[in-house]
Amino acid sequence: MNHATEPAGRPQEPLDRAVEEIIARVEGDIPEPMRSVPRLSLDREERMIKEILLRMGSLIEERIRLTIEALETHDAEKALFVIVGDEEINALQLEAQDLVVLTIATQAPVARDLRYLLALDRIGYELERVGDSIANVAKRAKELAPEAPLDGHVGIPEMGRLAAGFLAATMRAMADSDEAAAREVSLRDDEIDDLYHRAAERLVVLAKDASANVERAMRLLIGARYMERVGDHVTNIAEEVVFLASGKHEDLNP
Amino acid sequence: MALDTPVIAPDAPERPAPTRPPAPTGPAAAPAPDGEAAREPGIKLAIRDLDLFYGTFRAVREVTMEIRANEITAIIGPSGCGKSTFLRSINRMHELTRNATVRGQILLDGTDIYAPSVDAVDLRRFVGMVFQRPNPFPTMSIYDNVVAGLRLGGGAAKADYDEVVERCLTGAGLWDEVKDKLRQGGTSLSGGQQQRLCIARAMAVDPEVILMDEPASALDPVATLRIEELMLELRGRYTIVIVTHNMQQASRVSDQTAFFSMNEDRAGYLVEMDRTAQIFTNPREKLTEDYVSGRFG
Repeated sequence: MNHATEPAGRPQEPLDRAVEEIIARVEGDIPEPMRSVPRLSLDREERMIKEILLRMGSLIEERIRLTIEALETHDAEKALFVIVGDEEINALQLEAQDLVVLTIATQAPVARDLRYLLALDRIGYELERVGDSIANVAKRAKELAPEAPLDGHVGIPEMGRLAAGFLAATMRAMADSDEAAAREVSLRDDEIDDLYHRAAERLVVLAKDASANVERAMRLLIGARYMERVGDHVTNIAEEVVFLASGKHEDLNP
Repeated sequence: MALDTPVIAPDAPERPAPTRPPAPTGPAAAPAPDGEAAREPGIKLAIRDLDLFYGTFRAVREVTMEIRANEITAIIGPSGCGKSTFLRSINRMHELTRNATVRGQILLDGTDIYAPSVDAVDLRRFVGMVFQRPNPFPTMSIYDNVVAGLRLGGGAAKADYDEVVERCLTGAGLWDEVKDKLRQGGTSLSGGQQQRLCIARAMAVDPEVILMDEPASALDPVATLRIEELMLELRGRYTIVIVTHNMQQASRVSDQTAFFSMNEDRAGYLVEMDRTAQIFTNPREKLTEDYVSGRFG
């Protein structure tokens, strides 16, 4: 038996009728040129989920900034707005989750589509946790509002500004399915961690200095801890972006 | 090569040691290096540079792939890309079509099935086929349908037929449903039962490979799931190759998936073959990704 020597992909003679009939009998069909077929409704549903998440992301970014303002200006009302507003973020997460379930049930997505939907579902969950953390920082801001400031809030506002920028950049990477951008921004979590450790050390010193500082130092420590958690959740979101783009699980900031 | 599939069920019937097609000798024998490679443990079928023609039209181009023993391999791809033609070449049914020709090799346990010394009828005892539409012999009883292959091809002694019928119908998950009406016609059964009868008939001659050409496409969803469960039960005892248009089915039942496509020349070719989980979650080729996610075809 000899082997094929013709170059691959060279057009063949048109099918004659007899051969067409044979192929149709064996294959159930005669060959047609293949073409791209868009999946409009699946694409539309993926876009809707992504839009909900982007809305959650920008709402949370705004809430981080409001929380910083509430802390810095001792504005209990502003803090309360963030605390109460967490419900809105939770509701959006459920909306996204329901849409993911519906899309998987009706569209039977596989491969990239499936990864994409699973990643979007988990990003929704992480955003919801970011919302919880921020509401928690806002609770501390509300408690501290009537008190005198302690050492410029030991860097929590700076942590918050970093976290807000980190979140915005990660959500942009999600919108673009940009694996490289997700990897790059995830390094920013280290800066937030550094600020947290410095704040914790500073608060121990302040609490030792004067017993009048202890209560405020405790509240600030809890607030700083929750702000630090925001960075961890955003890092998880960046990891989901890497997963949806590449299918690989990676610990971006071990 | 270790198999990560479930092993044979403990109550799996003992199968007599089969007599294989004689290894080719003489000048037309398969070249030794290919034969050696194909005897790698775990590889049941090795396909090498296979071209399949209808007259001058090349329906399948340069397929090289390995099918692992006692696993389920699914062949997927768009309409008319040569999947069925490829499947039919594995038990030499392709050559039954007028003007159909074959180039390349298909090695079954290292033996080229197209070697002149291999008899196509003998080969089909080792490599059975189940078709899209259940095709029990219409004038035969359920019992006679199961043993039809034995009667034609020899094998078990007539005294053993009862045992074969019970074993194969049990294996095909049909025994409890038909044991009281074995003398009724095979076509009295439902479509799904008829297809399981055809699977029992294929099993009766003790094949090593069972080819299935869209075995569930003419069945309703419940009968389809029944066939899929049966395939999973048979896996571990038989090497199964299934052609299917139903990608959910391929992803549910198979261990390996091969994706066939075609270029402008309309000759089918193998784009990618991998573990099924890989193909349906993160395939290597963009074309495969587009096809399994319904964006190309």
